[in-house]
Amino acid sequence: MREALGADPPGLLERLRGGDARAFEELVIAYQHRVYGVALRMLGSRAEAEEIAQEVFLRAYRAIGAFRGEARLGTWLYGIASRLCLNRLASPDRRLARGDEALADVAAPTADAASAAERAELDAALRAAIAGLPEERRLVLVLRDVEGLSYEEIAETLAIDPGTVRSRLHRARLQLKEKLERFA
Amino acid sequence: MTCTETRDLFSALADDALTPGERAALDAHLAGCAECRRELAAFGRTVALVRAIDPAHAPAGFVDRVLAAARPEPWPRWLARRLSTPWPTLPLGAAALLLVAGLAVLLFRAWPEQQQTARYQSPPPGPAAPAPSRETAPSGASDSPQADTSRDAGATATATREVAPAAPPPAARAPEPPARLGDVAESKNRLEQAAPATKSAETNVEPTAPARDAPPALEGRRANVDSIATDTAKAGRSRQDVAPLSRTGPMTGILAAPPDVTAQLRAADASAAERSLIELAGRLGGGQTGRRIDGGRVVVELAVPREAYAQFVREATALGPLSIEQQATDRPLLSVAVTVSN
Repeated sequence: MREALGADPPGLLERLRGGDARAFEELVIAYQHRVYGVALRMLGSRAEAEEIAQEVFLRAYRAIGAFRGEARLGTWLYGIASRLCLNRLASPDRRLARGDEALADVAAPTADAASAAERAELDAALRAAIAGLPEERRLVLVLRDVEGLSYEEIAETLAIDPGTVRSRLHRARLQLKEKLERFA
Repeated sequence: MTCTETRDLFSALADDALTPGERAALDAHLAGCAECRRELAAFGRTVALVRAIDPAHAPAGFVDRVLAAARPEPWPRWLARRLSTPWPTLPLGAAALLLVAGLAVLLFRAWPEQQQTARYQSPPPGPAAPAPSRETAPSGASDSPQADTSRDAGATATATREVAPAAPPPAARAPEPPARLGDVAESKNRLEQAAPATKSAETNVEPTAPARDAPPALEGRRANVDSIATDTAKAGRSRQDVAPLSRTGPMTGILAAPPDVTAQLRAADASAAERSLIELAGRLGGGQTGRRIDGGRVVVELAVPREAYAQFVREATALGPLSIEQQATDRPLLSVAVTVSN
């Protein structure tokens, strides 16, 4: 799981609004992995994830003037990413990637061969189970258990109330547990 | 509390999000229900499996691609920025000349009519010659924020030809003075000042294509411009500011392959961490290949043997929080760029 989102980098929002050229670069550097991460886990394709992640930052770049700071930069970006992913998943002409690559890079570079082999079957089952979740549940699961957001941050990101976060998350995890029964 | 009600709390339990009342009721039920305890254990393992998924890393070069898409700045300016950032010690004037030289070559190669012009311009020596450069350079010169430092068209012409036909450049790979340049001894100092940049360039860059596939028509032009170059040098223009650097300069900036691994290391003492990384790479059979400053932060460029990479990551992680982006590669020696910051 990714480390907690935490506060915005100090002063970044003000500099972004002031049109500081370096500030946008810092924003991309600071949040690139998070934005790309949620897109990859939702869409399952690296190429598509990069395309969406780029689009997230381009939209942020264009919209920063209208951003009032009612949310943190991090949840704002996660929110744009979430919407773009759901839109993409709903688009009829989307080629079905079916999450094939979503977990392709889960193995840490230091994992030794034996444990990597042991994990292969489990990874495949986990990949299939996550890819098989209904999209809104999958999104909450990814934001909580992969991206490390709190209930409140997810609620802020998706503009839903924390109770909905909690119930979607619970259903997602129950569904995963059933699918992974023989591993868990 | 029923079994169903109990199990509905498992998720919030995993997130430590139960109210004290819920927690107490849950514990009371679990104490007497083995079935729910088994369910809870399986639920907990499932959550742990998902949380064990490593967070994804955006691919290397992602930031640059976003910035390029966000700011469609005129490409000569973009190029100027990319070229100037890795070489902070390079004098501005020299950087501008490098830029103009690189652009002129690119334009010359891109436009057949320019080459045509050159073909017809063979021997008339001296004053006539700068003309084609005047035609070749302007689009670069006028768009470049730094171009005004190139003092005259003669200087541009000099720079142009220093890069263009620079046959397999000796200076690009080894520090031996190129045979043609008598002034290299002096400029070697400059090369050494710019050592971090040129050194990394040496490891990455093959002699570039332009040198080899330069059209035969260039030969006439070359002889011609050689005399101009000499004239210009005599005229007091400090040609050596440009010459040696231009051999590794602009082309390197464009063609250098991205590193196989880009990493960011945070350490309280950045310079100690940098030394440790270099020492570590050396100990594992690799070594340092370069060093540059990017946005105020030190980027150490290392070569690490593929078989020692896992060891490298383990030991580098011990120096401080390390985040890594990898490119798929099967090269035996990985190029690793580590940004060290505190």
